Amino acid sequence: MKLQKTRLLLWIPLLLGALSANAQKYITKTGSVKFEASVPSFEEVAAENKSTSAVLETATGDFAALTLMKGFRFKLALMEEHFNENYVESDKYPKASFKGKIEGFDASKVTTAEKAFTITGELTLHGKTKKVSSTAKISKSGAGYKITGSFMVKPEDFAIEIPKIVSKKVANDIAVDYNFVLNKQ
Amino acid sequence: MNRKKVQWTAAIALLLFCGAAYLYNGVLYKEARNIEKEEAAHRLAASQLLDAYKRDLSASDQSYLNKTIEVSGKVTQVSDSLLTLDSGITCTFGKMLSENIVGAKVTLKGRCIGFDELMEEVKLDQCTLIQ
Repeated sequence: MKLQKTRLLLWIPLLLGALSANAQKYITKTGSVKFEASVPSFEEVAAENKSTSAVLETATGDFAALTLMKGFRFKLALMEEHFNENYVESDKYPKASFKGKIEGFDASKVTTAEKAFTITGELTLHGKTKKVSSTAKISKSGAGYKITGSFMVKPEDFAIEIPKIVSKKVANDIAVDYNFVLNKQ
Repeated sequence: MNRKKVQWTAAIALLLFCGAAYLYNGVLYKEARNIEKEEAAHRLAASQLLDAYKRDLSASDQSYLNKTIEVSGKVTQVSDSLLTLDSGITCTFGKMLSENIVGAKVTLKGRCIGFDELMEEVKLDQCTLIQ
């Protein structure tokens, strides 16, 4: 009886090990998200956030990312101020988050050569949520994964009003580029 | 009479020039905040900051978001220009960090940019080590 119990106990770590092997998480805290809303011949409207977090669940292809709006840095201090205070209202809505899935993700088929996958999910920022879809290039990077790609958004999709006076200087379609190198947790 | 006119014109021109210079340097192309030189609005332990955020996110945002704060704690991880204090405060520096400060007790200054719910961490940027 006692022997049986010890045997049973021996199985537990094995079972847990098998479970965790199934639910493998890859993370990054230093992902980059850039956006570009420049209009030719006007001042560049672009910013980058280099401390975006992301989590990839390799077993399911679930992908989530979170970026803090105040972490977007602009070349011009005034532009950064306007972005935070007037456009995204980062005091009220401090973060942007994405939750979605990499369609047909199969970890065993990802190699060091880039392969295209479609990521779809919901992007939430400025208190509004919208479905976005993006073609991402995914490759193996060391023991982890590299995910890069871009998608387009419109300010009005997130209830961001661009005042008339500057509307000519800010693009209607804003390109968002992302670059994540995720490593095993 | 004529001299007075010249003086007036000169004064107005000077005023206009100063106004334009102010608008250019002080508003349009003003300097960004220099967190390193700013006086910290709050001084606290890393664990205190993390606890506050985990307890009440919006109240903590009210007190810390966008503020320059001084945080003390143990360095639990360093990678490139990122330093983690007490496994819960992620601090971004403008330069690469040496990994041999892992385990050390440090105090640093940075700007709080909010709470990352994905990683359950508070984030600071534009950090500098104080000691």
